[in-house]
Amino acid sequence: MNAPFFKFGAFGDETSLIVACVIGIAFGWFLERAGFGSAKKLVSQFYLNDLAVFKVMFTAIVTAMLGVFYLGWMGVLDLNLLYLTDTNLWPQLVGGLVLGVGFVVGGYCPGTSLVAIATGKIDAIFFVAGVLFGVLAIGEAFPLVRGFYESGNFGRLTLPEVFHLSYGMVVFLVVLMALGGFMLAEWAERHFGPANEEA
Amino acid sequence: MMRPTEWTMNRVLAVTALALGALAMAGQPLRGHVVTLDTQELAAIVSADVDHVRPSDLADAIVRGASDYRLIDLRDEAAFAQYHIPSAENVPLTRLPDAGLGRNEKIVLYADGGVHTAQAWMLLRAQGYQGVTTLFGGLDAWKNDVVFPMTPTNPTPAQAAQFDRALHVAQFFGGHGRTATAAGDAPLVMTPPATPTATSAGPAAPKGAPVAKKKKEGC
Repeated sequence: MNAPFFKFGAFGDETSLIVACVIGIAFGWFLERAGFGSAKKLVSQFYLNDLAVFKVMFTAIVTAMLGVFYLGWMGVLDLNLLYLTDTNLWPQLVGGLVLGVGFVVGGYCPGTSLVAIATGKIDAIFFVAGVLFGVLAIGEAFPLVRGFYESGNFGRLTLPEVFHLSYGMVVFLVVLMALGGFMLAEWAERHFGPANEEA
Repeated sequence: MMRPTEWTMNRVLAVTALALGALAMAGQPLRGHVVTLDTQELAAIVSADVDHVRPSDLADAIVRGASDYRLIDLRDEAAFAQYHIPSAENVPLTRLPDAGLGRNEKIVLYADGGVHTAQAWMLLRAQGYQGVTTLFGGLDAWKNDVVFPMTPTNPTPAQAAQFDRALHVAQFFGGHGRTATAAGDAPLVMTPPATPTATSAGPAAPKGAPVAKKKKEGC
């Protein structure tokens, strides 16, 4: 049987929701186990004294990238069927900045805020309330921002297309980038991290 | 502090990732337009008669307002504008691969006859579209069986009841019954639906099926 299973009709909408729920719970559990239910842990990456978030996320990216690449190469996964969102350059740049500022100020990103609620953090409840209010506000104001929302559309861009490189070369470069990033992160933690201040 | 020669878990994982990344440069995970066909599977589908729907079943689905399928008209735009089955979308054969059809969607294809439809069916099956079927007999059969059904001669009560029902369906699609003798006399012209897609809710209009919803994905 080939993947993606849902796209090939191996199961229907109902089953896909159950699968999504199981994957979502597992995702949240691993985030919590990595310490991402704590705003202090999350924010300390911006002070360069604990880069666990960066390391965990980049490890996940590299693992998933290699898995997808090799499953595609083996013919188990049809990469053409994977969903890619369109690139809308300007709104995505601004949206990324807004999310980043919110991350520093609030101490969470959307996924980790829900993980923090699950572990009983009161600040996360306020964070999620703010997220929901933001979603509602942008939804109501959508006619005003629609033009910007749809600007800078480049369609479904991928790195191999942008850099005119083979898919495998991009995979290799991302692995190199991740390993270089891990070394830099370890170096930063040694220099900026509070020595044995917090376990 | 670890010693440089120590093989910690982190280092093992780093070297593994590096090796897999380097090997990836020799790989090609995208299939492009080359596909592998299971000819036996296709032959089994065709011989089991599950690769098509009958016009009367499609008509029932439209009258019922079913929206769990997508009806694709493979003819050119001019022919589509002249007449199409209510709720159909126009996707000429060349645009089929980029039409945004889902591999898990029920898809019903039709054209005037059967050749283009069968070719399109083969194209989609080859690309892994599991739920693709064809309208048996194409628009010709739709016209003869659904829009202008033939009045049976000396019908049994069961046949009469069946024709009565077919007549109601025909009227729904703007048609009427015909007799064997009248078939050659007056040309039977199918009138196009009032709107290109069946989104209005006029009770007498020959449109019942809402346009299939396009699935949005994302995180």
